[in-house]
Amino acid sequence: MSTAAPASDTEAAFIGIGELPSGRYPDRSFIGSLVDVAVAAVRDAGLTMTDIDTILLIPCLHSAADQADLVFSRVVEELGLNGRAKSNAMVHSGGSTSDNTVRAAASLINSGHARHVLILQAEKWGSAPVNEMIDMLTANGIPREWEKATGLSFNAVGALITQRYMAVTGSTAQDMASVCVALRDWAILNPNAMYRKPLSVEQVLGSRMISDPLHAFECPMMADGAVGIVLTSAGEARKSHDAWVRIAGSGGVVSHYSIGQEADLGVLGWPRAAREAYEQAGWGPGDADLAEVYDSYTAVLTIAMEGLGLAPVGEAGRLFAAGEFSPGGRFPVNTNGGLLSAGHTGVGGGTALLAEGVRQLLGHAGPDRQVPGAARAVCGGSGGTYMDSQVLLLERVTR
Amino acid sequence: MTEPGMAEITEPYYEALARGELLIQHCKACNHTIMYPKHRCPFCFEADLDWVTVSGRGILHSYTITRLTAPSGFEDETPFALGVVKLEENVQLLARLWPDADGGWDGYACDVPVEFHPVSADEARRRPVAWFRLSAR
Repeated sequence: MSTAAPASDTEAAFIGIGELPSGRYPDRSFIGSLVDVAVAAVRDAGLTMTDIDTILLIPCLHSAADQADLVFSRVVEELGLNGRAKSNAMVHSGGSTSDNTVRAAASLINSGHARHVLILQAEKWGSAPVNEMIDMLTANGIPREWEKATGLSFNAVGALITQRYMAVTGSTAQDMASVCVALRDWAILNPNAMYRKPLSVEQVLGSRMISDPLHAFECPMMADGAVGIVLTSAGEARKSHDAWVRIAGSGGVVSHYSIGQEADLGVLGWPRAAREAYEQAGWGPGDADLAEVYDSYTAVLTIAMEGLGLAPVGEAGRLFAAGEFSPGGRFPVNTNGGLLSAGHTGVGGGTALLAEGVRQLLGHAGPDRQVPGAARAVCGGSGGTYMDSQVLLLERVTR
Repeated sequence: MTEPGMAEITEPYYEALARGELLIQHCKACNHTIMYPKHRCPFCFEADLDWVTVSGRGILHSYTITRLTAPSGFEDETPFALGVVKLEENVQLLARLWPDADGGWDGYACDVPVEFHPVSADEARRRPVAWFRLSAR
């Protein structure tokens, strides 16, 4: 039975997106990037900057000082909103932050606490020293008392998940490598993606083994990137927009903190999170036109897709190999190229995927990769050591 | 290394590893076993916890062999293997995996039986972490 609530004028509506290309841009400043995507998103939304009353910030991981600037309202000053902005605050849950930020924005709008919310994210991972970032990730987000002394790295976390997934499903190394190839084929169509040269299964499997069974091309490359997203109420959206995007359903499960405490590394929290979201939306995976799902490692994506009902359990890897999720395939997945090819912009990797889902439903994804008639998108995010499985079901609404 | 307020739950665990034993926490109030060690039982929230020695027998849920991109301090130890072990006592942990006789980890696979492998006191103090090896059974 559907428990979907009828669309109301107070519910949240996505109306604008701004994004900078992902990659290595050492000359692009952090604050400058935030301002650029803020301006782009507000223009895309058909608003002026002074319409924005609430700024929700997605954290950066490259610098504690830049993070402090975000928390302490530097963006408000840069955008000339001193004395006008009602609230500047940060939401943080690692890679799933954008899902939780959107929930927060939607709740503020729906309850009347905010009218126009600007969500901002920028990251300088691609320009930061790689070893420092690896150590930062190793020092934070894993239990220092119980797991740090094992030598655990984030690539090892991805490897533990991938190893389990391959063992349980019988997916081959070729199947897993084909996930990278499918994502690359999408990235080639995305001018904002970090990697746009064709990639083959042979190249993936020929790259160096990092942490078995992960090869170098199966580990995400750290990137600079920035995204802005504008939400308002459906009532406001209707005044000046022909189409907007609503949140039809949302579900989530936080399944662990320590990777050593995850009950099933081949399943994670997806099945229950997905059930909750589909029940709220009143539609199912078969009704979706595309998916934008966190993919910092290949099995992180295949496990999520199976839990989300977008592939039969155990089959996602083989279906990637069969080209089902590639451009021209049966069902478009991660149409921006995902974290593995568009670039891992830290907490922003999930933001870029979510922004792409909104962009597709607004019909703004450009001639090369726009999914024709895209009306429903399944978005999935995960943070930390894949501690949570967050689902947002998005729907295009027309006036 | 351990912050002062954490020592009461880290030190007994670390000292046992240095003695060649693997301990887990146990709640005297509700009889649950607890991993990783905590200040209060996450089932009944009482703080009356003690320690029990485990069988050391478990199943390897997943594992990986880190060859590159190891964190600082571990670069000279590559390759090394770690895995998630589900113990008979119905708790689980991340552990290091002892190499096979051939010096590698070819004998390891998901869901194989493994057993606790005591290491020297010096090694356990340097790196307070449990090691497991393929089960002799």
